Amino acid sequence: MTGWMNWAHREARTGWGFASPGLILLAVVMGFPLVYACVLSISSYTLLKPAILPIVGADNFATMMASERFWNATWLTVKYSVITVTGEFIIGLGIALMLNRVVRTKPIYFAILTIPMAMSPVSVALIWRMLLQPNLGIVNHLMESLGLPRLDWLGSPNLALWTMAGIDIWQQMSFVVLILAAGLASLPREPYEAAEVDGALGWQQFWFITLPMLRPVAAITVIIQLINEFRTYDLPYVLTKGGPGTATEVLSFFAYRQAFLGLSINEGAAAAFVLLVIVLAMTVIFFALLERQSKA
Amino acid sequence: MMLKRILLAAAGVGALMASAPAYADDIVLRALMEDVPETQIIEAMLPDFEKETGIKVEFEKIGYPDMHDKLVSQLVSPQSYYNLLEVDFLWAGEFPAAGWLADLKPFVEKSNYDLAPFIPSTLDLLGRTQDSLQILPMYNYSMGLIYRKDLLADPKLQEAFKKATGKELAPPKTLADYVEISKFMKANAGVAGAAMQGQRGDPNSMEFSNYLFASGGAYLGDGKKVVLDSPEGKVALDLYVDNIKNGAQQGALSANLDDTLRLMCSGKAFSMVTYWWMLPQIDNAEKCPDVAGKVALTTMPGGHGESGGWGWGIPKNVSPEEQEAAWKFIQWVQSKDVSVARALQGHAPVRSDVYTDAKVLEKYPYYKEAEEIVATGKSFPIFAYSAQYEDVLGTHVSQAGGGEASTDEALKGAAKGLEELLAK
Repeated sequence: MTGWMNWAHREARTGWGFASPGLILLAVVMGFPLVYACVLSISSYTLLKPAILPIVGADNFATMMASERFWNATWLTVKYSVITVTGEFIIGLGIALMLNRVVRTKPIYFAILTIPMAMSPVSVALIWRMLLQPNLGIVNHLMESLGLPRLDWLGSPNLALWTMAGIDIWQQMSFVVLILAAGLASLPREPYEAAEVDGALGWQQFWFITLPMLRPVAAITVIIQLINEFRTYDLPYVLTKGGPGTATEVLSFFAYRQAFLGLSINEGAAAAFVLLVIVLAMTVIFFALLERQSKA
Repeated sequence: MMLKRILLAAAGVGALMASAPAYADDIVLRALMEDVPETQIIEAMLPDFEKETGIKVEFEKIGYPDMHDKLVSQLVSPQSYYNLLEVDFLWAGEFPAAGWLADLKPFVEKSNYDLAPFIPSTLDLLGRTQDSLQILPMYNYSMGLIYRKDLLADPKLQEAFKKATGKELAPPKTLADYVEISKFMKANAGVAGAAMQGQRGDPNSMEFSNYLFASGGAYLGDGKKVVLDSPEGKVALDLYVDNIKNGAQQGALSANLDDTLRLMCSGKAFSMVTYWWMLPQIDNAEKCPDVAGKVALTTMPGGHGESGGWGWGIPKNVSPEEQEAAWKFIQWVQSKDVSVARALQGHAPVRSDVYTDAKVLEKYPYYKEAEEIVATGKSFPIFAYSAQYEDVLGTHVSQAGGGEASTDEALKGAAKGLEELLAK
């Protein structure tokens, strides 16, 4: 027994030894900025008075929570994330299902689909900003030639968030297509063969076989995209600067505004922390639901 | 033996290099510059400075909206990548208050640099005090009105305007006249009456400031009391919103300076309230063939526009050698000869001797108007949170323009925002 314990102890030590470089790296790369941001969020650190002390506790959070703009930004972030992830998933799944039937030219489709994904969000935003320019942009020109009215894509408070979401969907959809296509390709053939023998129609096969079997992959895709969308910063920064008014001021842009325009790094860090907590909570809930479903 | 000789020779060369003094030509000056004509004019002259001094200068050109954050992240770091700074007047409260800039006064005294030719208002705009000079004026960007002469002279439009308003179609004298003409042009001339930069933040807060000053309004009164929410302020915002809705191009609420320049250049707008040095860009047959020869510049109707300017600064967090080299460059680029050479290419001078230079006036007679625009310009409030106030004001103005808030609510919100930031 003692010999086994010594062996197990040695094994554990070796394991920790191998894992420690990675753990140290993780602590430095992720842990330090997190702790530092946490300290900043409860400090009095501003760019004009760059000193951590005095610690002000939850004051920065209280100031933020009392601001109407913070709640507006939070609501817009939720709305934006739901719109984009829903759009990406529905369109992405549709394309992935179509691609699932393609055999010979699939790599070509995949290559084309990866192009938007490979582009930086800033370039995407700049390109779309030019395309959607109301007076000189090609989109309105095409709409006019089709007899449709010209639209103020980014200048109308009612349309700007939807336009931004559309651009985001255009770019992020490729990622959803690739993941879902890989998920579809890995599904077993047998249930489909059995369903065909039983005379199941195409939509019945999709509804009762494809969707349930694809659920784990789909869930992961949705959570990854939800996290991505919650953090969106580049698009509002380049396209609208949060405007018109506050129509596109999402939470990450709000945090940036507090930190760099308001020179209050502490309040910016507090806003970023709230964002982190929301994303973490979403991730935990989502994985808990997923685990419960897989057990059921 | 051979190896030993090579090692000895290498050590000798190394020792020589280590003992050699740092020459100026070892220093590379790096500046983050706004991508505007002024920068391009200076950039074309950089080889002359390098030839003269041996100091290499590199300009990194980007759009204005990205400059502040990029500079701040360098200025708060232990060592700034940029060792020469282009500083907007809107940051002239913030940068010195944060202690990021080296005082230029000792450099001026040491080199006997003559500040007398600099127009005093340009020095004051950038926060010059009795005890220190942290930013030296680079160029001026007071704002005025650029409009299409050909549209005003069009007989059909003149007749229609007379019929509609009972007035002659002529360059506007008041802000209300201007907005009336702008709306008329949109309805009758097949162009936008005004190319407006209504994007939230710097674009719309600068543009609105012109409307405010033209209406006789102000941000601050005596004793730094906020007086924005005044009858004049209300008139200004009402007219601004009216023009955004009924005179400006579609998409004005998301447009910035570049968008308005493109629109004006393409001949699809009657006018724009903009920086006066935009005139040579628009009145350029190569760049803007549709409107070249058809545009004119005037002071903001009402007599006062927004005043602004850029300056040169030197960061504290760079080496003394780099600071010396930066000062050498600043002296050179703001000298009379170089300023005149720049002005001949469209530079907006900050030295009075350049405005009166015969060669400059011969090439650009409208520099007389420009001098008046500079002289009558009024300033946006300059304090540590000016950049944030632009965003606060811009948000309220944008909300009013987009119909999300009434002009009363927007004006009250903007005034309250200013009070809060001044008290911060």
